[in-house]
Amino acid sequence: MDRNKIDAECAIGYKRAMSSDRVLIANRGEIALRIMDACRDLGVDYVAVYTAEDEDSLHARIPLSESGGKKAYRISSYRDPNEIFMVADQAGCTAIHPGYGFFSENFRFARRAALRSRPVTFIGPRWEVIRDLGSKINTKRLAKSLGIPVIPGSDAPIYSEIEAEALAKELFFIQREQGIQKPSILVKASAGGGGMGIEEVNQLDAFRRVYRRIQNYAKRQFGDEGVLIEQCLTDYQHLEVQLLCSSHGEVVHFGTRNCTIQSTGRQKRVEIAPGFDPAVCVYSFDAPAILESITAYSVRLARHAGYDSIGTWEWVVTRDGQPFLLEVNTRIQVENGISARIARISGKSGYPNLIREQIRLAFGEHMGFSQEDVSFEGTSIELRIVAEDTKRGFRPWCGTITRFDLPEDEFATVYSHVPRDRPYKIPTEYDPNLALAIIWGDDTNKAKDLARRFISETRIEGEGGITTNLDYLHDRIEDVLVF
Amino acid sequence: MLDRGKRLKEFADRVQYLMDVKGGADWGSLNELLDEIRFIQQSIYDLTEAEVFREIERIEERITFLEIRAADLLTPAEIVNIVRSPQRFTLTDILENVYDSYTELGGMGECNVDPAVLTARATITRRVKNRLYRHQVMVIGHEKGRGEEYRNGGCAKPWGNAKALRYMKVAETEGIPIHFYIFTPGSYPTEDYPGAAQQIARNIYAMARLKVPMVSFISEGGSGGAEAVGLSDMRIMSSRGYYSVISPEGAAAIEGKIREGEKVPRELLEHCAAQLHMTAEDNLRLGTIDRVVTEPPLGARREDYSFFHRLRYEMIRATDEVVLKTKSFRAFRAYALKAQALEKDVPEDFEVLVNWDLTELEVERLLELRSQKYRAMGRGGYVEGKTGGIPVLGKAKELASSGFYELKYGLLRPHQRNVQKVIEDVTGESSVFLRKVTGPVRAAYEFVFPAPEHPVPKRPMEGGEERSVFREEWETYVSPLANEDGTVTCPNAQKYGCLDLWIPDLYGEFSGVCPTCGHHFPLEYHWYLEHLFDKGSVREFNHHIHSANPLAFEGFDARLEKDIKRTGRRSSMITCDARVDGIKLVVSMLFGDFRNGTVGSAEGEKFVRACDRARTTRRPLLAYIHTTGGIRIHEGTLGVTQMPKCTLAVREYIESGGLYIVVYDNNSYAGPVASFLGCSPYQFAIRSSRIGFAGPRVIRETTGQDVPPDYHSAKNALRRGHIQGIWDRREFRKNLLDALMTMGGSNLYYK
Repeated sequence: MDRNKIDAECAIGYKRAMSSDRVLIANRGEIALRIMDACRDLGVDYVAVYTAEDEDSLHARIPLSESGGKKAYRISSYRDPNEIFMVADQAGCTAIHPGYGFFSENFRFARRAALRSRPVTFIGPRWEVIRDLGSKINTKRLAKSLGIPVIPGSDAPIYSEIEAEALAKELFFIQREQGIQKPSILVKASAGGGGMGIEEVNQLDAFRRVYRRIQNYAKRQFGDEGVLIEQCLTDYQHLEVQLLCSSHGEVVHFGTRNCTIQSTGRQKRVEIAPGFDPAVCVYSFDAPAILESITAYSVRLARHAGYDSIGTWEWVVTRDGQPFLLEVNTRIQVENGISARIARISGKSGYPNLIREQIRLAFGEHMGFSQEDVSFEGTSIELRIVAEDTKRGFRPWCGTITRFDLPEDEFATVYSHVPRDRPYKIPTEYDPNLALAIIWGDDTNKAKDLARRFISETRIEGEGGITTNLDYLHDRIEDVLVF
Repeated sequence: MLDRGKRLKEFADRVQYLMDVKGGADWGSLNELLDEIRFIQQSIYDLTEAEVFREIERIEERITFLEIRAADLLTPAEIVNIVRSPQRFTLTDILENVYDSYTELGGMGECNVDPAVLTARATITRRVKNRLYRHQVMVIGHEKGRGEEYRNGGCAKPWGNAKALRYMKVAETEGIPIHFYIFTPGSYPTEDYPGAAQQIARNIYAMARLKVPMVSFISEGGSGGAEAVGLSDMRIMSSRGYYSVISPEGAAAIEGKIREGEKVPRELLEHCAAQLHMTAEDNLRLGTIDRVVTEPPLGARREDYSFFHRLRYEMIRATDEVVLKTKSFRAFRAYALKAQALEKDVPEDFEVLVNWDLTELEVERLLELRSQKYRAMGRGGYVEGKTGGIPVLGKAKELASSGFYELKYGLLRPHQRNVQKVIEDVTGESSVFLRKVTGPVRAAYEFVFPAPEHPVPKRPMEGGEERSVFREEWETYVSPLANEDGTVTCPNAQKYGCLDLWIPDLYGEFSGVCPTCGHHFPLEYHWYLEHLFDKGSVREFNHHIHSANPLAFEGFDARLEKDIKRTGRRSSMITCDARVDGIKLVVSMLFGDFRNGTVGSAEGEKFVRACDRARTTRRPLLAYIHTTGGIRIHEGTLGVTQMPKCTLAVREYIESGGLYIVVYDNNSYAGPVASFLGCSPYQFAIRSSRIGFAGPRVIRETTGQDVPPDYHSAKNALRRGHIQGIWDRREFRKNLLDALMTMGGSNLYYK
């Protein structure tokens, strides 16, 4: 079945001789392996980096075992840009792929790559775009100016208590107007991030106290006492729109995904594409129309900002079908595979590989196809297999894996850096992610069944009783797409 | 026999003194002479009386001859030796011999907060027509002692200067004149609470407007130590004293780039002593002192009673003069005093009696005269270039503008405030009912006094990012330091694990601040001109005042020329008008590229004019110190007098109800910190800067003690109360705006 194979010649006519290029993969784990695969497909040379803790990981082992010059360099940290650029110069790299995490959304890293005396192509958006869309406040302000719905609240830091209280009052009023039973708002430190300095307020009387506390915290912690206030949404689905843009102004979307199933730390665990499926769930709103509108909004913002790489527009859709733009992820995402998996490009066999497209476009190529050429087929589910204790607050598990058997089915694609032929010790320095499984079925119900089958056939064993999230994943598959 | 023994001992002292003065025994084979004297001392009983008599005659003749020869050609370095000789008179000698009785205050001998500073209530007596009149005075000065270690050679510690300040205040309360006696090679360089610089600044600030007549006498005036008790209405100097910006050794170490621990060559020392123009005649010529008291050719010693007699006369005469100048009716007495001065010998009697008490009006005149006196100092030390206008017109413009500001803020403003207050009161009473009544009044008021032109300050947006989607680059000034593709290692990397910083990031977006630990790397002064103030609001003034080489210091012209070429500026101070979020202010900035930010006559004059401009326009005054290395030693005492001069001007500004903010950056040391900068009630430091009195090397060399780590850091300055806060460079503008809105007197134009 060639529709389950990645289309080998999907990319049309490489104009530039990419054989002279060399890509430094500045990341670890499964994304490093996927970038390697993409490079190999494109016929581009690559170089990997690894740290001492990752010596046993496949992303270090595979390039070390390959012939054709030194292909992997040991570094002391994935987070030190100086070291990454030193390796790039040493290995004669012309481009750097940051993967996700680490430097992927760091505009300074991208800027340095572009402006240094030996420029290196940053495989990602222009650094200006990363800077502009990297800030949630800026994104929100820009979106508002384009008529894109955003979560009601402030779009600039608030410094005055009177102003803050007026806004809080208004937000409570709006929620009551909408008939929300338990209205609440969020007070955030504007300079904060990663969940620091956020507090929920359930009644107006408590607002002033919380506001002062957050203001003091922000002043102490970040040196800026600016505070953001927005409506607190509780009942929603988390949707994403996958975009692919070129430096020539071409914008193509690859549909939507639903990533509502997350751990307590807001880490995604099960993702499904497309974002809604009216065939299996009943929605109180016109689901296809909503998907269409958030896609159109995302494309509008991307065009306006001059977006020129792969990116994800994150949305929330409330129970009554109201979409709000959350933020833009200016990078490749873990779950890009499910969007690719359901996509078909006319004239090509199989499904596209978005990482490959990203690398290709970063080298300045044209898209080669337009939105009309893209169609969608079936449903795809991604399972993130992680060594963690889901019953105890998703606590990571550390130890040595002795058996790691994942079923090799036609309907499933598995990405993992865990070697199967020997025991593997999970490094304590990084997240204990073990594998990604991408399941595809003709329709949503079939995909769900296949996903459950995949999980039940998976065998993971480790020293001293390994804890993984397989049971959790099995249970939660039923909840996808449902409010 | 006993007599001869005494005479021989006296001879030995005289020879020893000659050795002190000439800096060694090589001159005039003094060693042999001393040996001869010792020999006779030992064999005095073996020789016949006639032989001893003959020998004594011979030796005396020889010593007298040598003394005359030695006094003939005294070099400045030898004058320094005279001053430092243990046989020279000290303050205790003066108290014993010039004053009739005295009571030491604040300690005795070793039992003292600082034995190097002596304060005493003393009585000085004069005879007028066979009647005795006693005057009470406060005597404050340095006591060098006779080599006692606890006296520290007259180097006052901060608490010693604090003691002096305390008794100045006592004198002010009691309304008696102060006689200062300066016998110090310099202040003791310690940063212990509150720090030498800070205490000296407090002293100068207080003396600037102390309401009693002050006369100072300088025997050894070394730099900042001398200024701490030196500001006065009349400055007298002994003819064999020295008054200098720095000790000749210090100057030689700087000029010769002598490494720490190495000995300074004698020729260089002599050369520097001559170049510094530190003798009494030099200082009189430069106008930094008012009068010279003649000493014997080789200097007065402990038992030179005729000198003490002269000094008593001179001190009384000087105090008389200061007092008389403040009197409205004085012609006759002034004439008498003048006539008296013409006599060659010191008279036994005074012609007139002058009462040293001052009325309030006279105190005002005293302060006015003091201000004029100091403002005139150093006038010859800079070059005033052409402004391109007719000088008379410039003066007229100045007069007109000061009149305008006086009218606008001095006369109209209080009325405006009163009217506004009444309107607010009335509307506050019962707004609904009375609005109808007050409406027309308010409309009329607003027609007469339109709404203030400055906008209500709003929070500075972060870099003005709103439209950055359409912008390829930030439109801000980026330091030229950023034009290098390389990395630097943060000095705190070991401690905090900071990653190496890419130079374009560091000097561009990060404003030279390590994002991990907050260490501030130095940035050039242009950055501040661009980032601190509203775009295009910086207007420089007094650009035409240039630094010069008033002492014709050898080789300094070339160095000055080099710095002028390198920086494109002609002094180390920039004075400009600027705006911060619409608030107009006057800025004076010392920058390090030009002669290491040292302050000379040109810089002092520019600062004084900036103070006056801020005073007439009622704007806040910001002194931003990019770097200062102290007073410019090549201008000698012309430089040192900038300390009291600038402090006086800035005190007048502060007391007019202004706001004076000082912000230190990089390195700020010595004179300026110990005077017109250190006296500000609002001093702040940029993080990672160093502030202090003397650098680590000077401290090690003078005190012989090692300097603790981070001794001069901003954090330690904050701890000892020198500065009031540490500012992050990235928040400089925001903090400055906050300061402008919350601090300062009520006389600022925008309040």
